[in-house]
Amino acid sequence: MTIVPRRQVLKSAGLAGLAILLPPEVLAACSATSAPAKGKPPHRRVGGRTWLVFDAHEADVVEDATARLIPGPQDDPSEAGHPGAREANVTRYIDTVLGALTIMPAKIFAGGPFSDRAGSKLDDMASFLGLTPAQTHAWTRRLATFRGQYRQGVKTLDKIAGGDFTSLSGARMDAILAQDPGGFMTLLFGHAIEGMYSVPEYGGNAGLVGWHEIDWPGDQQPRGFTDAEVSLSDGPDAYVPAGIGKQLIKLLGISP
Amino acid sequence: MSQRALVVGSGAGGSVAAMVLARAGFDVTIFEKGANYFTDLASDRPGTVFSNDELKMDRYFSLPDPSSEPRVYRSSPQAPPITGAVQDLPQTVGGGSVHWDAKTPRFWDIDFKKLSMLGPVRGANIADWPFDYDEISPYYDQVEELIGVAGDVHLFPADPTLAHAPRSRPLPMPAGPPQYSSALVSEGCRRVGLHPFIAPMAINSRSYAGRPACNNCGFCSGYGCPIQARVGALAPLREALRAGAELRSGAMVVKVDTNGRKATGVTWLDAQNKPHTETGDIVVLAALSIETVRLALLSGLPDPYDLAGRQLMFHWFTEGSGIFFSERLHNYRGRDHTHDIDDFADPDFPGARKAAKAAGLPYFRAGKCELGGTQRPLDEARSYQEVLRLLAPQKPFGADFKQLMRASLLRDRLCGVELIAEDLPYATNRVDLDPSVRDWRGIPVARITYGPGPSEIAAQAFYLPWVVKLLKAAGADVAIAVPEIASTRFPIAQDQVPATEHVMGGMPMGADPRTSVTDGQGRHHHLDNLFVADGAVFPSSGGHNPTLTIMATALRQATIWAGAD
Repeated sequence: MTIVPRRQVLKSAGLAGLAILLPPEVLAACSATSAPAKGKPPHRRVGGRTWLVFDAHEADVVEDATARLIPGPQDDPSEAGHPGAREANVTRYIDTVLGALTIMPAKIFAGGPFSDRAGSKLDDMASFLGLTPAQTHAWTRRLATFRGQYRQGVKTLDKIAGGDFTSLSGARMDAILAQDPGGFMTLLFGHAIEGMYSVPEYGGNAGLVGWHEIDWPGDQQPRGFTDAEVSLSDGPDAYVPAGIGKQLIKLLGISP
Repeated sequence: MSQRALVVGSGAGGSVAAMVLARAGFDVTIFEKGANYFTDLASDRPGTVFSNDELKMDRYFSLPDPSSEPRVYRSSPQAPPITGAVQDLPQTVGGGSVHWDAKTPRFWDIDFKKLSMLGPVRGANIADWPFDYDEISPYYDQVEELIGVAGDVHLFPADPTLAHAPRSRPLPMPAGPPQYSSALVSEGCRRVGLHPFIAPMAINSRSYAGRPACNNCGFCSGYGCPIQARVGALAPLREALRAGAELRSGAMVVKVDTNGRKATGVTWLDAQNKPHTETGDIVVLAALSIETVRLALLSGLPDPYDLAGRQLMFHWFTEGSGIFFSERLHNYRGRDHTHDIDDFADPDFPGARKAAKAAGLPYFRAGKCELGGTQRPLDEARSYQEVLRLLAPQKPFGADFKQLMRASLLRDRLCGVELIAEDLPYATNRVDLDPSVRDWRGIPVARITYGPGPSEIAAQAFYLPWVVKLLKAAGADVAIAVPEIASTRFPIAQDQVPATEHVMGGMPMGADPRTSVTDGQGRHHHLDNLFVADGAVFPSSGGHNPTLTIMATALRQATIWAGAD
């Protein structure tokens, strides 16, 4: 999905812009090689799943690929105790958005004002909203493009894999995805992010694992927060720069 | 029989104009191109389907979807055009105020008398407004009462804030709870001699006019308020509806019909694209600069001096980010931010005159600086997606991504600072119709040509280090500042389409039809019953959030129209 350039994302957009300025040798110094994952991860597929858009193989490829992008304990040993795209049901999220217009009302805009997670008995978000003609026009085109990209993207991954992407080791999958063939990894990653951290009514973030992972409380209406929770410190919580975070800090530290 | 008034746009300006005209006995119809996400707007507390849902807003729930309603941007007439989302504000009932951060500073005395008090700047069309601060001040009071502004006037800095925008009475509500991170950065500001204060904002700190106090849900800037603690244009819209106005949503006006010096009505398309006409005794344009100009150009309104759409102003922004290692800042609670500083809006800020002179300018200004704010998880995750391309090109995903999400350097440990700054009015910054791109209805879209001038570039060079300095003084372990709009001096923003969401000018007010599009009452110089009631009429942009001034100006103007007719 296109990221909307607007006030809320400017800070991050600015950071990316900043990096463009940096000379390659600085970027190279910021970059470190991380150890490749070894072997094919054991994981269990839920049998008998039905999909709006995917066929069974497409769903398997999308599931394995997104689990490389946002790995869970089954996918990367360093993520023990930390659920990822597989656990959050990201494939279900993606299939739902691709087929959103085959359901009435379309599964594009969850309702409001409240879910049942923060003090309301009713989950308004479970009832999706009708689209305006302008929205229908836009989403019909957008989703047709996405569906074509997924059909083609899965074929491309299989082709590079020499037949079946899902038969590869995690390390081999990573190597193929890192090439971003046809921009498919970028598309998948964007959608995996949405399926991981959006409200669960869209089909992902199963059991709120995406939010629990990052200490994000999610939607808060109608309960909200107290004034004290807004105004007071939560207390010390030290971050010790290490690994990729340390590299990010190094990158940002070289600001003009 | 009462006279008919047709108002195009239900946002900040249009709602105020509709309220005044309906109360004065006009038969008012408000045309809103977008959807209505509210029920029972005439009631104290309308229902809504806005919610705490980041993905929904990313999917253009309230913004025009660039796949069906794009715009075109060029940084200069020679630059390659970019088609997509350009300075989009919500096109829904309530307009931009359904998602605004509701900061309601007033413009300063020097904004209204810019030419007289600060003098000309070569290359820019510096002009006085048709009214001064003293004249607009009572209208500010009325709008603050109407929409419910919270703030403690006695705690505003005497200099420069109250010196340039004096107040005769307190605001209707006290300030709400200070944001922890805003207070933290405010301390840093004090350490380097700046003057932070809790900004006035139209967010209820207690129940007000039948609406509840804000409960700090944290989905404020960029989101529709789920509980009506922040209403903006919905307050005057409610008054307009109660006085008998009719609201038509999904109704896009595509032409102002004219006959000689008269606007006779409008041609509009319903949501299914079916054309209709409506006759009126007066027509009010309030679709905000870009769409108002687009409509004027689509209608072929008289423009003998080629002025319509010129002097477009955005405010240039500088985005600061402070990262704190010692604690998480929980910016996801409460308002976007609570504190501001006004120091950088002062042309006499220490060193500013000297730096201006060195740049060959008589003076320059930035504007208010907002202290606080961060991003939410989807935007945070996308930041890491971008950054990992640079940091780990051999595997820009995986466990590294998840580690970054857990550390949350760019969300829970981040405190943003946003410097909003004055854009001068240049004839070359403009809106016109794109020669080839059409919206989903087949109508030519707006093309925006915009770039900063010498004043903006020099002021940004001077103030950008201050943003870093105040964040460092607040204890940020990493402090950076990045310009938001490209210039020769700051090319790193080159690929960015302006998204400051402060949009002004294009139909400026003035006495002389050779240099302005509308007169001192917002009336079109060549059409006696066509008025403009949005930020398009601003002759200059000030250095503060424009919405309160749009509403106060619309209130002044519509009061005159209602009395005159």
